Amino acid sequence: MHPLYGTTAVAGIGMRQYRRGASPLPEQGALVEAILTACADAGFDPADVDGFVSYGDDKNEPVRLMPALGTRELKWSSVVWGGGGGGIAGAFGLAAAAIVSGQASAVIVFRALVEGSSGRLSAAVMAHHLNDHMLAAGIVAPAQVCAIRANRMYEHHGVPRSVAEELVRASYYHGSRNPEAIAYGTDIDLDEMRDSRWIAEPFRLFDCSRENDGAAAFLMVSAERARDLKKMPAYLLGCANGSERGWGDLLENDDEALYPTAGFRPIARRLYADTGLTPADIDVIQLYENFSAQGVASLIDHGFCTYENVAEVVRFENLIAPTGKLPVNTGGGNFAQGFIHGIGTAYEAVKQLRGESANPVPDAKLCLLAGGPGAPTVSSAIFGNEIP
Amino acid sequence: MDSGGLIMHANDGADAPYWNGLAEGRLLLPRCGGCGCWMWPAMNRCGACGSEDVEWIQREMRATIFSWTRTWHRFGYTESLDLPFVSIVATVADCGIRLLGRLDDPDQVDPVIGEGIAGRIGATRVGTRDIPTIIWSRG
Repeated sequence: MHPLYGTTAVAGIGMRQYRRGASPLPEQGALVEAILTACADAGFDPADVDGFVSYGDDKNEPVRLMPALGTRELKWSSVVWGGGGGGIAGAFGLAAAAIVSGQASAVIVFRALVEGSSGRLSAAVMAHHLNDHMLAAGIVAPAQVCAIRANRMYEHHGVPRSVAEELVRASYYHGSRNPEAIAYGTDIDLDEMRDSRWIAEPFRLFDCSRENDGAAAFLMVSAERARDLKKMPAYLLGCANGSERGWGDLLENDDEALYPTAGFRPIARRLYADTGLTPADIDVIQLYENFSAQGVASLIDHGFCTYENVAEVVRFENLIAPTGKLPVNTGGGNFAQGFIHGIGTAYEAVKQLRGESANPVPDAKLCLLAGGPGAPTVSSAIFGNEIP
Repeated sequence: MDSGGLIMHANDGADAPYWNGLAEGRLLLPRCGGCGCWMWPAMNRCGACGSEDVEWIQREMRATIFSWTRTWHRFGYTESLDLPFVSIVATVADCGIRLLGRLDDPDQVDPVIGEGIAGRIGATRVGTRDIPTIIWSRG
């Protein structure tokens, strides 16, 4: 069995989330609150946390958190490379690597984002990629890069554009029923969505994720230790991070077959091989959707549907809990739950496996966390409330 | 809007001959002197065969549309472009390298993947710089 299979678990979670620009705390303050909440959730002394992992340019170097947390000794301090949200699931794999190899024993996975402290996320992401080739073409934002890929997926690979709306509606449906979601209590107006302004074709405003202020933190420990803590462990069963030849930061010269994908083909292959699981085993999906089309491409990459049958699978009724066969983004996802660089999708993964979700999936045992699609480096993970 | 020094500028990378070529009115693209494969983005070494012999070959500014987007939102750094504007990925004829560029869009007719296009050298103003680029037209 793979060394990551069921050997570590998320034992505690904490989140602070606000509308963009509305955080009452600076970024580090919001992060410390999230970490303290995660430790309290697990019944764990925050001073005993000895490792930290983040992704996607988080500005909060862990050593600076030590005074506020009362950290005794820092043993692991690392970040997953890559500017987009591609590294989110990989961050859990990195934390597990530290624990399994004995380099740390209690690791916080986190992401914090407060615009007043760090500026707009979209600008930070693009700073990784921008060059004169892109600037000269007027391509300066993640929405445009993903829009070009989306048009190729729709036009050349025959994916019907209507599937994007199905995914967006499912996220808003769940978000409107989740008290922790930014969209809580507001039903989506279909006409408003369809008539929303163009951003970059084929994306209208509602095809794009939002940005929010806040922070979330996850306490990871060994599976054995997690069983002695307060909450039901969410075991990490597998994690894959990376890229393959023909995919990456290639000035749009990716392999032609990979071009319209979200970059997850090698990730899904490894994740399923390492865990012995298949798409049919997954009960619920937390899907990072920066843009609607990339969310759909991620579902295809992970084997839940194909270019041919995507319209049969990606249907609103099929995507919503508790009745859909493929419940996706049960907290509301990046569209409707909120967007602190995608960390809310991992938060909902744990809530769902504990039975604490606002939109529970009956008898959910396994949850796929799919990281930021379309990023040059991407990652995914599978969590379970049991070890099959 | 200044790019804050975060952006790699022309002429300090492996693609310097490309920028110099545009400045001289020519499209130059890199091909491996070892195995003959076209390399883009430009690199100093061919990962396929290991050769460090890079040849810069002139190509005609003829291409087909690989994909496209029409931008309506005013993103930072695009202030010099009238909205909406069309950006494309163009597959250059007789080499297969794909270039980012702009497409003339006078009548807002949606581009079609595979459509033939011809290019001319122009420039895009970003901040205080005019970055050379190929501006493509249909037919």
